[in-house]
Amino acid sequence: MTVVDVAKTLTIPYIIKIQKRLYYSRRLSILTTFSAVIIAFGVAGLFFTIIGLNPLEVYSYIGGVFASPTLLLESFKRAIPIGLAALGLSIAFRMNFWNIGAEGQMYMGMLASTGIVLLHVYYGLIPDYFVLLLMLLAAFFTGGLWCSLPAFLKAKMKVNEILTTLMMNYIAMYLADFLIYGPWRDPKGYGFPLSVPFPEYSKLTIIFGEFAYGGLLLLCLTAVLVFTILKYTKLGFELKIVGESIETARYAGINLSKVVTVGGFIAGGIAGMGGLTIVSGIIGRLRPRASPGYGYTAIIVVLLSALNPWLIIPVSIFFGGLFVAGDILQATLRIPGAAVEMYQALIFLFIVIGEFMKRYKITITRRVFG
Amino acid sequence: MNELVSLKGIVKHFPGVLANDNVDFTLRKGEIHALLGENGAGKTTLMNILYGLYRPDSGEIYIEGRRVEISSPKDAIKLGVGMVHQNFKLIPSHTILENIILGLKEVGFIINYKKISEEIKKLAESYGWRINPNAYVWQLTAGEKQQVELLKLLYRDARILILDEPTSVLTPQECRILFQALRRMAGEGKGIIFITHKLDEVFAISDRVTVMRKGKVVVTKETSKTDMSELAQYMVGRPILFTIEKKEPKPSGEAIIIKNLKAFNDKGVLALKGVDLVVMKNEIVGVIGVTGNGQQELVEVIAGLRKAAEGSILIDGINIVNSSPDRIIKLGVAYIPPEPLRYSIAPNLTLVDNLFIKAYRYKPYSNGILINWKKVYKKADELVKNFQIISPSLFTKAKSLSGGNLQRLILARELSGLIGDRIPRLIVAAYPTKGLDIGATEFVHKTLIEYSRKGSGILFISEDIEEALMISDRVAVMHDGRIVGIFKPGEVDIEKIGLMMAGVQGASTI
Repeated sequence: MTVVDVAKTLTIPYIIKIQKRLYYSRRLSILTTFSAVIIAFGVAGLFFTIIGLNPLEVYSYIGGVFASPTLLLESFKRAIPIGLAALGLSIAFRMNFWNIGAEGQMYMGMLASTGIVLLHVYYGLIPDYFVLLLMLLAAFFTGGLWCSLPAFLKAKMKVNEILTTLMMNYIAMYLADFLIYGPWRDPKGYGFPLSVPFPEYSKLTIIFGEFAYGGLLLLCLTAVLVFTILKYTKLGFELKIVGESIETARYAGINLSKVVTVGGFIAGGIAGMGGLTIVSGIIGRLRPRASPGYGYTAIIVVLLSALNPWLIIPVSIFFGGLFVAGDILQATLRIPGAAVEMYQALIFLFIVIGEFMKRYKITITRRVFG
Repeated sequence: MNELVSLKGIVKHFPGVLANDNVDFTLRKGEIHALLGENGAGKTTLMNILYGLYRPDSGEIYIEGRRVEISSPKDAIKLGVGMVHQNFKLIPSHTILENIILGLKEVGFIINYKKISEEIKKLAESYGWRINPNAYVWQLTAGEKQQVELLKLLYRDARILILDEPTSVLTPQECRILFQALRRMAGEGKGIIFITHKLDEVFAISDRVTVMRKGKVVVTKETSKTDMSELAQYMVGRPILFTIEKKEPKPSGEAIIIKNLKAFNDKGVLALKGVDLVVMKNEIVGVIGVTGNGQQELVEVIAGLRKAAEGSILIDGINIVNSSPDRIIKLGVAYIPPEPLRYSIAPNLTLVDNLFIKAYRYKPYSNGILINWKKVYKKADELVKNFQIISPSLFTKAKSLSGGNLQRLILARELSGLIGDRIPRLIVAAYPTKGLDIGATEFVHKTLIEYSRKGSGILFISEDIEEALMISDRVAVMHDGRIVGIFKPGEVDIEKIGLMMAGVQGASTI
């Protein structure tokens, strides 16, 4: 299919054509993904040079994160909520449900788990050993609801999920603000917008004494769960067909609204569990803006991993490391923390460009004058 | 110079396919040249090269003796080459005149509608067509739209006209009008390339015929010096039987009873205006009609994919109107939809996934939560063998299967009793041979007849009258959302069927 004929207008003796590729290989896909990361590094380096920094020095700080055991452990911690949200997204994206709302689903997970903790601390309604399990269920359920609502609207009424999920992020975030500045503020907290600190048995550290280990275990178990759902269950097969072609799914007698709503529920539920790991693992209490955008980073992670649940784990560790590097750069080189977010955005931009580019090929042939 | 077009040694590769292998082709002034071949033989690729949509990997193109490079349809039109595609490329909400002058630089900034309108009218009349240039394209019949497409080319002074399967949407009467006009154009010295896979058309219209098979030209001949069976043999590479043997049906009970069925189309217009039809078990009922007279809506309502406004459909005594597709599938209704790649195949999923796109959720392949892939693979292997699906493996993506193999896959899925382990009560087959080559068409016909004699009732939608007459036990003609006549093949002559399809009053009273 001809798209542009550049040479024509310039009367060059060559014909440059951009043609649509009929097929592209797996190797090409991997190559474009890697190129996106590398090019993003290069462009970010250009930016660092302009603001008067030595890009090599910046890179060495970033690389240093993965070389130091303590910082690596810190990266693991950050990777856990990112990875969980990304695993949720891998289910949603499989059925072409473009969920931008992992961030909001995480906030709902945080609120639900904090709610359980407060119920326990203030009213003592729940036995100690039961608290964490109940938090987990509540986080899953609330995150799931937050995602299945836009999913249901999409399946039933074709409401655009990109808009609804994005907008629901703000609702969740400001709801968290309202609660933490209002009724959930710790009365002994000197007026700071913080919840009561979580008691020990409500923290994920109780499993292995160190959140990073317990969290990684949770992440891996969830990856196994997601893989099993996609590969071996009826629902996974239905998700795949719905993602491939709505027409075909309808033809095959698949109950679209049920599949999309249930798929959305599981996707949001897993993201909600990611929210739980932030408050009960990383921070140990609820505070405003508890997630620095893990839910958005998860979108990049899941695209870089090509929806593969196993790949999501290492890729989220890489992005966890970038968050840690951002903190360090802020402290040492006094670069605004936004620099790392910018780098993430660059990766995303180049992935999108790469996705487009790999579908086309450029051919140059000599023009024959008749 | 007598030769309008000369293609020499054209080679075109697509990934994994050699679409044109050293093809030579000539078109003379004033001739109608039929380009005959099965689907995938490379005819359309060759013509797309001549029209500038593809570039050949090697080979030369001469137009009126001059070596040319055609790198876009714009180049082609400048050289006098025009193409009418199978699917019309007109803008429905614009008038005929607007469609014709669209993209034409010569028209200038201020459009002289009156003058152009006169010119178009005159041009149309010279071919015996009566059109109003200010009519909107959406108001036109398929035949008229095709006339507009041709006028578009003629208005640009095209001397070389390529028509890609132009009769597939026309009634016999419209075909005749088209053929007359083409004759007149050839008489003016224009060259016409007529792409087709229907043998009778070759003899009805062409002066010469070129047969292609697997990317190569097999033969170019004067049409008067060959006959049908010879051409068929060139086309397929082996002799073909033109009749199908079938036993008399022994209808036993109704497979489906449709009563006063009414339904709207996607635009909210009543497309089914009261359909009454019965298909018995052991019987094939063919429904013919010009595409767009409600056939699509009818099959969709039966399959549960479209809501009915009124009426009933009884299958085994149960009214299935507005039931879910799942429920209808479970009642034993198999549905072979038109355009498999859009409606019934997930192109990026594998062969085995597509085979089990319905059966995956039923016993013994699923226990309600998990899918038993072991059982699935075992059954799939068996089906691939029984239905002669040719594929490198069970895990080949459906989109890389050929049209014939895809249709075999669909037949295997729909007919083999994957669901409930019995043959279907009713098979709804909508245009199941459209776009298939002769070999695959034969397979589909044989399979449908075989199942009808095993006890399935078959509702067979076709736009090819000959095909419908050949395989059906009874034929129903559909026009404007109604069944306007039902008869046995041989009872009514083809002329009258054509009139019924066109909706001529009184034609349906046999």
